[in-house]
Amino acid sequence: MSRGEQQVLWISSSLVLGYLLFPVLVVVTISFSASKFLTFPPPGLSLQWYRELASGEWLRAYWITFQVGTLAALLSSAVGVPAAFALARHTFRLKAAFESLLMAALILPPIIKAISLYLFFVPLGLVNTVTGLVLAHTVTGIPYVVLNLLASLKTYDPDLELAARIHGASPLRAVTTVTLPVLAPSLIVGAVFAFLQSAQELLVAMFLLGTVEKPLAVKLWEGVRISLQPTIAAASTTLVLLALLAFAVTTLAARRRSPGRGVPMMIKARRET
Amino acid sequence: MSGAGAQPRNAAGPVLLLLAPAVIIYAAFFLWPTVQMLLRSAYVDGTLSLGNYRELLSTPLYGKVIWTTLRFSVITTAVCLVLGYPLAMLLARASGLTRFLLLLAVTTPYWLDYIVRTYSWMVMLGRNGIVNQALVALGLVQVPTSHLSSDFAVLVGMVQVMLPLMVLCLYAGMARIDPALLDAAAAHGASAFAAFRTVFLPLSMPGVIAGSLLTFVNTLGFYITPALLGGPQQTMISQSIDTLASKLLDWPLASALAVVLLVVTVGLLALFNRFFGFERLAGAEP
Repeated sequence: MSRGEQQVLWISSSLVLGYLLFPVLVVVTISFSASKFLTFPPPGLSLQWYRELASGEWLRAYWITFQVGTLAALLSSAVGVPAAFALARHTFRLKAAFESLLMAALILPPIIKAISLYLFFVPLGLVNTVTGLVLAHTVTGIPYVVLNLLASLKTYDPDLELAARIHGASPLRAVTTVTLPVLAPSLIVGAVFAFLQSAQELLVAMFLLGTVEKPLAVKLWEGVRISLQPTIAAASTTLVLLALLAFAVTTLAARRRSPGRGVPMMIKARRET
Repeated sequence: MSGAGAQPRNAAGPVLLLLAPAVIIYAAFFLWPTVQMLLRSAYVDGTLSLGNYRELLSTPLYGKVIWTTLRFSVITTAVCLVLGYPLAMLLARASGLTRFLLLLAVTTPYWLDYIVRTYSWMVMLGRNGIVNQALVALGLVQVPTSHLSSDFAVLVGMVQVMLPLMVLCLYAGMARIDPALLDAAAAHGASAFAAFRTVFLPLSMPGVIAGSLLTFVNTLGFYITPALLGGPQQTMISQSIDTLASKLLDWPLASALAVVLLVVTVGLLALFNRFFGFERLAGAEP
């Protein structure tokens, strides 16, 4: 590739990257604004909007989001790990059907899940409960765990596990003491994804929990629709930090998974929520 | 499954045990509710009928909403492809720190909440937004107006939201291409453009198809971006379903419209599965 072409590639890519990143910069800057009007660049700096975040209502939203996300990630892992083992190590009828089911759970528009689960939950008394939302988010979380684990299980040598068995370990013990530690980085990446999709999901949260308790996504949504105060920018900035933290965690985990590469392997199916 | 040393086995017992938790969760909280939704859409006043679907077809509003959704999804996918291709090429060629920084730049917005990113566009495209300030400063407009509630605003937001996904799909595909092939083409006298057109471009097609299909399927379900950046003219299917269900309480019609969205989505997923299979979704390591 000639120098000129290289330059064209860099210039066009820089413009596209600017388009991708500028909105993030705007949000972070506005969160420190001294003005309550949304002007960019802001007239002065202040931390007032962060102080507002420390008020009860926002803290409650963070807590609900953390609670639902963590439970959904844990449940997704508990269910997803054995399912990944089944897919990686066994052939069975309906395997393709099961995979399609996971794929559909990942990509189906959230509004479909929201309205079908809402009416299903009403008679069960699960509407407006944390349990209900956790179950709903687990449905979407499982594929993240399974897909990430499958990628590792494909390169994992089961002879290691066999060696443990030969030396007297029970099958379960061999898996938990030999195989799972090797797979841990992939599991972490999957669980982080499961947490993030739960934390950012709006429609299902709105239908299933949003009228009583307001998770962060619902609180942000209402804020954007009604008041448009820079408090939303401050809350958003905390989410930028969360995103960077997740990036760091998954990058480190991926580095452990395939040394020398250090490129986080992404699930490419994050849908709009 | 043909991984290193992974020997698929046939044993009904353990498989059943391993899959049982997932199957139970999916049957109870995913499949059955969806089936109920399908049934709800096919009944009018307690009798089996296609009435809800007839109503969807005969009401111009819903036809327009479906059309808007398809149009925005096609345009978003096409623009993402055009903008994302060079960036993915650069990523595929870069190495070490450069590649890490480029990936960080692509993935940071990717990880970020859709509401957050759309909120930023509201600020920028609004009456006092930076877009207007720039236009006024350049003397292009005299009186600032809001750029919101337009096709343009919705598309700018949707493309920005979906672009990282497209770039990552393209990049995963391109990273598999052996650079020696391009050298070979050059050694045989191909110009850089000819080498790109006859070697690189065809080899990058799996990534192009995967990225486009995933982007398209995702944009079909958009709710936040058109709701915040668009107006009534830019209403998409998810918004209509929400309005029918939570405001008008017309659950059968909401279900019917959801079934339309479901059928299109599942159809495209089946297509994706046929071409690439399930594991390509994992962003298989390059």
